[in-house]
Amino acid sequence: MLIEALTLQLGYNATLVTIGATLLGLTAGAVGTFLYVGKRALVSDAISHATLPGIGLAFIAMVMLGGDGRALPGLLIGSALSAWVGLLCVSWLTYRTRLTEDAAIGAVLSVFFGAGIVLLTVIQSMRAGRQAGLEDFLLGSTAGMLWNDAVILAVGGAIVLGLVLLLHRPMALVAFDPDYATATGTDVRRTELAMMGLALAITVVGLKVVGLILIVALLIIPAVAARFWSDRVERVVLIAGGIGGVSGYAGAAVSASAPDLPTGPIIVLMAFGIFALSLLFAPDRGVLAVFLRHRRFQARVHVRQGLLALAQGQPIYERLTLRLMRRAGLIRADGVATETGKAQAARALLDERRWEILRADSRHEWAAARYDGLTPLERVLTPDQLVELDRSLRPEGV
Amino acid sequence: MTLSRRHLLKLSAALPLAAAAPAFAATDKLSVVATTGMIADAAMIVGGDLVEVQTLMGPGVDPHAYRQTRTDIVAMNRADLVLWHGLYLEAQMEELLLELAEKKPVVAVGEAVPQDKLIAHEDYDGRFDPHVWMVPALWGDVVRGVQAAMTEVAPDQAEMFEANATAYIAEIERLGAYTKDALTTVPTEARVLLTAHDAFGYFGSDYGFEVMGIQGISTESEAGLDRIAELVDLLVERDIGAVFVETSVSDRNIKALIEGAAAKGHDVKIGGELYSDAMGEPGTYEGTYLGMIDHNVTTIAGALGGNVPSGGMDGKLSAGG
Amino acid sequence: MNVTLAADHGVLTPVEARADAPLAVRGLTVSYGEKPAVFSVDATFEPGAMTAIVGPNGAGKSTLLKAALGIVTPLSGQITCFGQPMSKARARVAYVPQRASVDWDFPTHVIDVVTMGLYRQLGLLGRLKARQVTEAMDCLARVGMDGFADRQIGQLSGGQQQRVFLARALAQKADLYLLDEPFAGVDAATEKAIIAVLHEVKRQGKTVVAVHHDLATVPEYFDRVLMINTNVIAEGTVADAFTEANLHKAYGGRLATAQMRVAG
Repeated sequence: MLIEALTLQLGYNATLVTIGATLLGLTAGAVGTFLYVGKRALVSDAISHATLPGIGLAFIAMVMLGGDGRALPGLLIGSALSAWVGLLCVSWLTYRTRLTEDAAIGAVLSVFFGAGIVLLTVIQSMRAGRQAGLEDFLLGSTAGMLWNDAVILAVGGAIVLGLVLLLHRPMALVAFDPDYATATGTDVRRTELAMMGLALAITVVGLKVVGLILIVALLIIPAVAARFWSDRVERVVLIAGGIGGVSGYAGAAVSASAPDLPTGPIIVLMAFGIFALSLLFAPDRGVLAVFLRHRRFQARVHVRQGLLALAQGQPIYERLTLRLMRRAGLIRADGVATETGKAQAARALLDERRWEILRADSRHEWAAARYDGLTPLERVLTPDQLVELDRSLRPEGV
Repeated sequence: MTLSRRHLLKLSAALPLAAAAPAFAATDKLSVVATTGMIADAAMIVGGDLVEVQTLMGPGVDPHAYRQTRTDIVAMNRADLVLWHGLYLEAQMEELLLELAEKKPVVAVGEAVPQDKLIAHEDYDGRFDPHVWMVPALWGDVVRGVQAAMTEVAPDQAEMFEANATAYIAEIERLGAYTKDALTTVPTEARVLLTAHDAFGYFGSDYGFEVMGIQGISTESEAGLDRIAELVDLLVERDIGAVFVETSVSDRNIKALIEGAAAKGHDVKIGGELYSDAMGEPGTYEGTYLGMIDHNVTTIAGALGGNVPSGGMDGKLSAGG
Repeated sequence: MNVTLAADHGVLTPVEARADAPLAVRGLTVSYGEKPAVFSVDATFEPGAMTAIVGPNGAGKSTLLKAALGIVTPLSGQITCFGQPMSKARARVAYVPQRASVDWDFPTHVIDVVTMGLYRQLGLLGRLKARQVTEAMDCLARVGMDGFADRQIGQLSGGQQQRVFLARALAQKADLYLLDEPFAGVDAATEKAIIAVLHEVKRQGKTVVAVHHDLATVPEYFDRVLMINTNVIAEGTVADAFTEANLHKAYGGRLATAQMRVAG
């Protein structure tokens, strides 16, 4: 069942949802990266919660005008408008009052969401019929995904991706160094609004698939996971998009393969799973890699110190040092140095002496800055520089 | 006559007593609050001029999801009698109603149906399918329950209630006969009823229909994609021509089902809109219990290939249902 | 005609700004809330000179630079850059901000920071050509950081970060360099390297203006000085304006002064 789900053979509805969820994950991951590196992740939470009153008001407006209260484009426009108002409120509160951004976000989030819930309660007793279904926007509801919904998602997603491509340089610059951005002529205020506007677009487009409560997860988790794989923002954006897309795809497929599995939460769980794997196992930056690197470094330091002690005839006290040196074949079981050990100890001592001289010589300031107790000087200087330096070691040789 | 101070004092002592006199000294009608429209309908007919009935859930309202408002609570507190359905239909209000039952007459009239006639819930022990109004015979039991509740609160009117109830049940029985006749005209292989949620279980068991809903017995359960796929396969396999939307439930899932079947080359139409958990607009025929069931039966039979008068049992259905 | 302030007279004579000065401000007032950080400042920065902006903490030195660049909005005043409003002259101005104002966890390599200086040329979508990457690497080499091109910026020391910022400014090939406390918190080797690059830039005829915190090195590094404490205390060559009297005026009693070499 799962295999069929993953290869899109479970029928029209499941395929539609899977493709839609993949597109959503892809665009959310890309946009979310800029929110994350710009430290604006929580603003997206305010945006998503601020959509609720707009949905309610749009419903009421459409019913009053005699139409079908649940026409999706109308509801989405309503949600976008109220989310935009919420965003402006956060912006205004932060820039014009003494409130910090997180306080502003908390205020807007709760007030708008509360207003939305009140509206939903009012709507439920409206004599307008057919109102059930608005609460689906809270956690998403993919069983009822129609062709038109998928089209909206695809078009919206494509527009957002296009804008991300167009604006990635100013957005990255503003997130990194806003003062420099202003100085070089970037309109910081407009770029930030654009960034938040993209987040708003993704939120609105993703309401049906994952719902407003979970959309923030789809924006942030792929970006955070991607951060473990690259140190360059363009790559992070691409990887985050990929992770988001995979989460959308796998999550939708899994939720379609068994009864009673809600799509939105499963997608988020997939994203989290990828994040956990990245956190633990990403090369260079994952917890495991850092741990191993640290152990290796610690071993090198111990061995170096042990060799120096050996070369200077001092006893080695630390058990870890002795164990490591024994394992490297530098000392015998009884603590006496082996031939290899003696040779390496002599080299270590020579290296240490060379560094001493170099660091005292003002002509070699650049090189001196690279002293870290471990790197041999041969790697830093050229051979002729080394020869010249060695002459100072043997004063009689000049 | 001038008011001496002693008279004034006596008068002022009597005022609080006057104010504390029972509320229905002002009007002598029994004030009844009913949760669903169907119960309110029954209450109005059984009680006649002796009752004033207020409904909490109007047309198009989903009782599985309905949460009471402050106004509702005030109304229920002021009423002489509160009638609700029970059988876990008003799931969100259950706690409040049970609490209220300790202070005043609160009766779950749906539970007047004997248990052996109820369909047990598939997944939950001790729970039953609450949609008993779909079958007129069962609803007759509920009407008797309403009568009993009213008699309890206003025993001196017992005769009136008995007469009204009996007359009404005769109408309901006539509706039951019409239902049976109408549905037997549907060809056997077409007797599949697919709706947005499992509201028609009793309908199925009593009239030999196979009944399926996208969502479960309660609309609070989310429909899974898996279920949609399952139903699409069924639609195609059994060559079913019509599915039905409901007035109190979103029609998105049904539309998705239709698209799914279309992708497999099978053309399914919406056979009509059914009143599943709520009646039609008040003031119309469909806004009464009789009209609601009449409409449902006529629409279903008509859409599935049966032979029924388009005006329903008495020709009272509005065109297009 | 540039008339320098006769600081000892205690009278401020208004300065007539040269029309095409690299940077000139007139009547500049900037306040945060109700408290003025910079009040009615008139200053003209000479082309081809290295000018230090000095003053006690909170004197408005950074604010002055930021207002000139449009990073903060002034309450009043006129700012011209090469005779034009700043918005038109941005291509000729390079800014080196304070290190503290940047997010060092940001995922970007050293070389990426330098190529940010080329964004104006590249526009939104232009691809980075090999020639431009080489230019960026050259700028890194001038500050001695070419070996670090692929490092994530958070891995650098303070001095190294400062040098990368300078490389970014060099990549812009600007005519005017505005630096905000370029020597704050850097090691001696970095300081020497930075001042060497700045003097080289000056030799090419460019203008350098730097907010500077270390009074002891003003005479050695700079030719001109602007001394402010919310308003202008003195402006002119180091010899003329960097006097003990002026320093007392600017710093009040807070001068912990002994080792400074001051003119007159």
